[in-house]
Amino acid sequence: MVRENTGLPGQPDAPESPLRQILKFLSSMQLGIILLLLLAAISVYATTKEMNVAIGSIYTSWWFVGIMAFTALNLFLCTVERAGPIWRQVFKPSRAVTVEAIKRMPSHRAIKVSRVGSDPLEAAAGALAVGGLRVSTQEGPDGTVVFGEAGRFGHFGSLITHISILLILLGAMYGALTGFETRGGGYAGESFNVPEGRFQAAISKVTMEYMPEGPQVRPRVISEVTVTRDGRVIKQGKIAINEPLRFEGISIYHSTFLWVPHLTITNPDTGRTEGPVKLYDHDRYFYRDRELYIHTLAFFPDFTMNHQGMPTSRSYATNRPVLAYQVVYPGGTKEPWGLLELNKPLTVETKNGPLELTMVGFENAAVYSISRNLGRPWLFTGSVLLILGLYMSFFLFPRQVYAAFDAKSTSYLVGGRSRNKLGLEQLMDRIEEEIRKRKGE
Amino acid sequence: MGGLIQVDPTNLMIEKTLFTLSCLIYLLAAVGYTVNVFGKKEWGGFAANTLRVALLVHTGFLVMRAVNVSRVPFVGHYEFGNLFIWATVLVYVWTEWRLKDKYHAVGAFLMPVVVAYIAYLTVIPALFARITVSSAHNPLPPVLQSFWLKFHVSSSVMGYAGFSLAFATALMWLARTGLESRPDLLKASPFINKLAVSLPRQKTLEEYMYRASVFGFLFQTVMIITGAIWADASWGRYWGWDPKEMWSLITWFVFAVYLHARFTRGWHGKRTVMLVMVGWVTMMFTWLGVAWLLSGIHSFG
Ligand code: HEM
Repeated sequence: MVRENTGLPGQPDAPESPLRQILKFLSSMQLGIILLLLLAAISVYATTKEMNVAIGSIYTSWWFVGIMAFTALNLFLCTVERAGPIWRQVFKPSRAVTVEAIKRMPSHRAIKVSRVGSDPLEAAAGALAVGGLRVSTQEGPDGTVVFGEAGRFGHFGSLITHISILLILLGAMYGALTGFETRGGGYAGESFNVPEGRFQAAISKVTMEYMPEGPQVRPRVISEVTVTRDGRVIKQGKIAINEPLRFEGISIYHSTFLWVPHLTITNPDTGRTEGPVKLYDHDRYFYRDRELYIHTLAFFPDFTMNHQGMPTSRSYATNRPVLAYQVVYPGGTKEPWGLLELNKPLTVETKNGPLELTMVGFENAAVYSISRNLGRPWLFTGSVLLILGLYMSFFLFPRQVYAAFDAKSTSYLVGGRSRNKLGLEQLMDRIEEEIRKRKGE
Repeated sequence: MGGLIQVDPTNLMIEKTLFTLSCLIYLLAAVGYTVNVFGKKEWGGFAANTLRVALLVHTGFLVMRAVNVSRVPFVGHYEFGNLFIWATVLVYVWTEWRLKDKYHAVGAFLMPVVVAYIAYLTVIPALFARITVSSAHNPLPPVLQSFWLKFHVSSSVMGYAGFSLAFATALMWLARTGLESRPDLLKASPFINKLAVSLPRQKTLEEYMYRASVFGFLFQTVMIITGAIWADASWGRYWGWDPKEMWSLITWFVFAVYLHARFTRGWHGKRTVMLVMVGWVTMMFTWLGVAWLLSGIHSFG
């Protein structure tokens, strides 16, 4: 990157040590650009792959993580390198400069005037002030120089932006290293263990809420959960979609919900009834009396048959709850599937004798995804700083202008520095116009 | 195609009429700006006013749409596309209002881009069976019912608007540079000569391009961040590596490279213009390519 011209008399150019040169490269914007392009190119390639394949073989690969770490190093070194100079630029700008230095500035011009007047610099100071700059005068090696600056905190913009991206990268790494992701859930009365987080969660209530548009739309399911560790309650609350339960950097999210039919099974020979048992879809319940499994296939809250003669549900309303089930023998052979309606006992003939199935009720169960992300506060801080940094980088427009008067040629020498070239040119035009006006040109 | 929401027929008719009307007025504004840039300066003011009227009618359409779906009209290609067009024109009208008539030439290059976006919502699906843009009225799936959705979508359309404007000025830069290299053409056709004279200087165009990119970049950043926060709240993870997320990050990278390249004094002119064009292509791919060519959980938007 091109270093800002300090405007001070130049130091002799000593060759830099190889170590210094390496460090310079590692902190350079050129390397930053290369890394950004590389990350972009790899990402383009990765998105052509199946998402899970890309996650497994690219995004979590050592080399991709390595490139990100290298980017973080680049940003870190750039921040360290630039912090000092930027600090000095903001708080100790070199106000006193030579005429030669003004001529070397990115934007400079000589403004010849015909009338000199008693205090020529007064016009320059006035012009700079009109240009929106904070003006002071300084004694330089070649006499008095008028110095004006504005938006100086904008210099911190890139620094803050870089630090924020660094925070986000580090936060993501820290979160990935210390975090976990798992699943859990159940119906009211059930609880599940999360060994990674050393806690147990008991579900006390699962309720379904239909949307105002009607039961065709996927309803909201709200559950209540109590989290305990070693018998002590550590968190208690409601969980719904977009409303996770959070504690200790751990979040329990509602991910989906299931239907849980309640079945009773009666042996017609003895009259003995088992149950009610609560079964999820694809559960297998071993019925000892007949040496077979009751296999649940699917639950339909609002049952109907579609054109192909397959069971389906018209809506999420429980207008006609039906369970599709199947009898499976220990060897794996199966009876054809059947349908069971609510509170309508069904006698099922099997190879091992008859049995009577009744769906006596049903309820909902909640499925959660559970994760711990300790990087979250870092990510959040980084995000806020990123927006602040971008705003400062682009909208504060730091600019510095120096003006001196050369009595010999009766000209003003005006030089300016800013990263916003066109903005600087416009400012210089304005100053030139103002000086000429003040001098009655 | 009927959606899940029953819409009052009168309201539906108003909505559709406002949409058609705004499309037609946008088209008229595009014609106005084009005539202006070919030397008929008196058309500039007409085009600008027409565009403002179009924006107003389009705003009416969005309001009606919101009424008809009883929510913010933010979801699906049809609603997002409309919002995106609206935001692009809004940002343009605002800059035009600030920079006055010398900016009208930009309109002649932005409006064809806007017309292309409109075509995607109207005639393109009619021509290509593979592409369907449904304007059905559907409720919001629960996962989208988040506070963050509003921020996420509004920042993304603003970001896209900025990049569209940057792209239009990049096209102007190419046009101006191309015309300058063909003095024979300028001599031969007074028509083309007038076009060349209407186009601002490269330096000015680069500045417009830079400002529009910066604006887009800031909002693109907000979009990525709010998207991550929302994903974190809904799915339990802030980053899922899905193609839509990745492509918006790729767009962000490209514009970050462009902005860095501009900070160093060395990069200006054609190289930066090319970076902005690539950035716009990646942005369009995020919106359309991901939906039609790649798959992921963002298929709803
Ligand atoms: C995205 C928003 C970003 C902005 C607004 C931004 C801004 C800047 C600015 C203004 C500079 C010039 C340094 C100065 O004069 O103080 C710079 C340099 C640099 N940027 Fe960024 N940057 C951004 C993102 C990144 C990213 C993501 C990287 C990571 C690769 C990066 C790496 C660098 C490097 C290595 C330099 C050179 C530092 C130096 O030599 O002074 N930047 N950036």
